Amino acid sequence: MTTPNGLVLDASIDAVIERYKDGIDRTLIRENLRKTHEERLLALQAMQGFVDEVRRAGEQMRREKR
Amino acid sequence: MMQFQRLVTALRSNDVEFVIVGGVAATLHGSARVTYDLDIAYERSAENLSRIVKALGPFQPYLRGAPPGLPFRFDVETLERGLNFTLTTTEGPIDLLGELAGIGSYSMVRENAIEAELFGSAIHFLNIDALVVSKKAAGRPKDLEAIAELDAIREERKRSG
Repeated sequence: MTTPNGLVLDASIDAVIERYKDGIDRTLIRENLRKTHEERLLALQAMQGFVDEVRRAGEQMRREKR
Repeated sequence: MMQFQRLVTALRSNDVEFVIVGGVAATLHGSARVTYDLDIAYERSAENLSRIVKALGPFQPYLRGAPPGLPFRFDVETLERGLNFTLTTTEGPIDLLGELAGIGSYSMVRENAIEAELFGSAIHFLNIDALVVSKKAAGRPKDLEAIAELDAIREERKRSG
């Protein structure tokens, strides 16, 4: 495969990509495809907030254990 | 927390010529993967660089990972001297890309972009085929997983018509 700027890509990675596809949760994709673009971005932002909060709580727990 | 809305709104309200690429573009296509920075390809005319400085300046951009106190001025001159910048801001990390792996310069990125309505204005983001190409060209392990999901999104779109 050649990219728009002339780079030839290694086709051997395609087999790896196919294997990764087995582990994709398509129910999440279907749910996202029902959302508007704005809703998708706001959901990402909310998920980041959740991950930040989990990290913060984990760090606090580790500090308290010391 | 990343504030995409504030960054995107600031760029749009200052008429910056940019295209959203990377993980946030994947999100806009329906990806469920969590990404932590906003990657944009930007046009490199002096006027556009000036608009970028005006739009992002209030968010105190600084080189991501650089030691605190390193002299860094976010101005047109700095942007002219470089091409790709990985920055931290008060609203979250943002990468400014003068060119994109596998696609090329801004004009090529723009040719492969689609438009959507976001926070009250039209924005451009990389189409899914070009996004796959750029991630294949980057070739990092995490990109291969992302490509697998983008392929699945293309299949789901076809399936649902």
